[in-house]
Amino acid sequence: MINAHSYIRSRSEGHSVFLTENIAPCVMFVQYPLNNALERRLKKGRGAAMKADQARQAHEELVMLVAEKADKDAFRLLFMHYMPRLKSHLIKLGLESPQAEDVAQDVMVKVWNKAGQFNPAKARVSTWIFRIARNTFIDHTRKQKYTNVNVDDHMADMIAPERSDENIEKLQAATSIEKAMTALKPEQKKVISLSYFEDMSHSAIADHLSLPLGTVKSRIRMAFDVLRRELGDKA
Amino acid sequence: MIEQGKISDEWIVSYAAGTLSEAHSLIVASHISYHSDLQQTLAQAEDIGGMLMDSLDPTDVSEGSFEATLEKLNETMSKPALDEQDNEVSASSSPKLPAPLASYLGKNLDDLKWRMMGPGMSQVRLWTGPNDERLWLLKARGGTQMPMHDHRGHEFTLVLKGSYHVGDQQYTPGLIEVADGSVTHHEPLIDDGEDCICLVVTEAPIKLHSFLGRLAQPFIGL
Repeated sequence: MINAHSYIRSRSEGHSVFLTENIAPCVMFVQYPLNNALERRLKKGRGAAMKADQARQAHEELVMLVAEKADKDAFRLLFMHYMPRLKSHLIKLGLESPQAEDVAQDVMVKVWNKAGQFNPAKARVSTWIFRIARNTFIDHTRKQKYTNVNVDDHMADMIAPERSDENIEKLQAATSIEKAMTALKPEQKKVISLSYFEDMSHSAIADHLSLPLGTVKSRIRMAFDVLRRELGDKA
Repeated sequence: MIEQGKISDEWIVSYAAGTLSEAHSLIVASHISYHSDLQQTLAQAEDIGGMLMDSLDPTDVSEGSFEATLEKLNETMSKPALDEQDNEVSASSSPKLPAPLASYLGKNLDDLKWRMMGPGMSQVRLWTGPNDERLWLLKARGGTQMPMHDHRGHEFTLVLKGSYHVGDQQYTPGLIEVADGSVTHHEPLIDDGEDCICLVVTEAPIKLHSFLGRLAQPFIGL
């Protein structure tokens, strides 16, 4: 077992400079319009935040290269970054290591096959991959269907005349999720972890913590509000 | 703030995190499809999921994992493309269904097998899960008074067509009613006019008040 980064670097001489956090220059020839907030932040050039933005931008460009040019090198770079994290995520959700790797590979296969459906105006790459991983995991473990919300659905237009047609507003992540999590009270952090990492429903959390269902629900609600605020939601 | 007729955030967070059952994921996804503000909330809850995943310490991946993935990729590419989202439902379908439900049903409402369940009411059972959780469609004629009942678990009702009242609150297409175990003497009244069609998830058998209703209960399958 070797680390995926060193592994891929050793296997592909030509890409030895491609560290995932530092790949923006290699794909800069592909120009996509930066959204205004991002553009402003890039101009300001705020150390760590800018680095994270560049990495995010670079990941979006890699998915576009996979979608438009079936670019295997771009796919390899996405694999280097996401595969080890997908594996960690699936292990946290309760899979054994070999099984987690197998399911993570299936997720990466879907990333390749669905790259054409990725829309950077509507989701971050990490959000999009998280969603694919969630559905693949549920399909794998529960043998139940998990229905996706299609953001291009026009039902909202039919019944909500107040709807304005702007893009789905993504969290801009003014700060890191690790930092945002520290703003939560311990009991709020607990319900967020149990939801996202332990695959627990409201009633499973209530049983696990011996709390009334209503308390669990209001804690999740409050924790979510804190995270949204910390992560830069303007609302 | 909890807005009447819209689901509260903890359900959207749990939908995003993937902890809902098949029935709950379908009704929540269908409900979200009607409301752009809920789509926004969902996008944020999924962003948080993505960021949490992205912030995890990487786990070592076995040697050859990338090649194994390419191998799987070649296998999927040699098979005909299967896209489960592509169920053809005729565009003239009335009412227009939210995409998650249309894709789940794979056919129009009129083409389903509706079973009578009482005067003016019929149903289609779609799914039964653990703990007697049930997903079904309910169709009730305008003006029907639903039998008075209590709830033992959560009951979710999403209006697809027509409307109904509970007290002063009116439920119209796209709105959802969440009744929990504390709701007693629940007596919805279908508004006059067109049929009301709802997608319903019940967690435990509901408790009918009338003697006749209790007699009929095993047969109508509520």
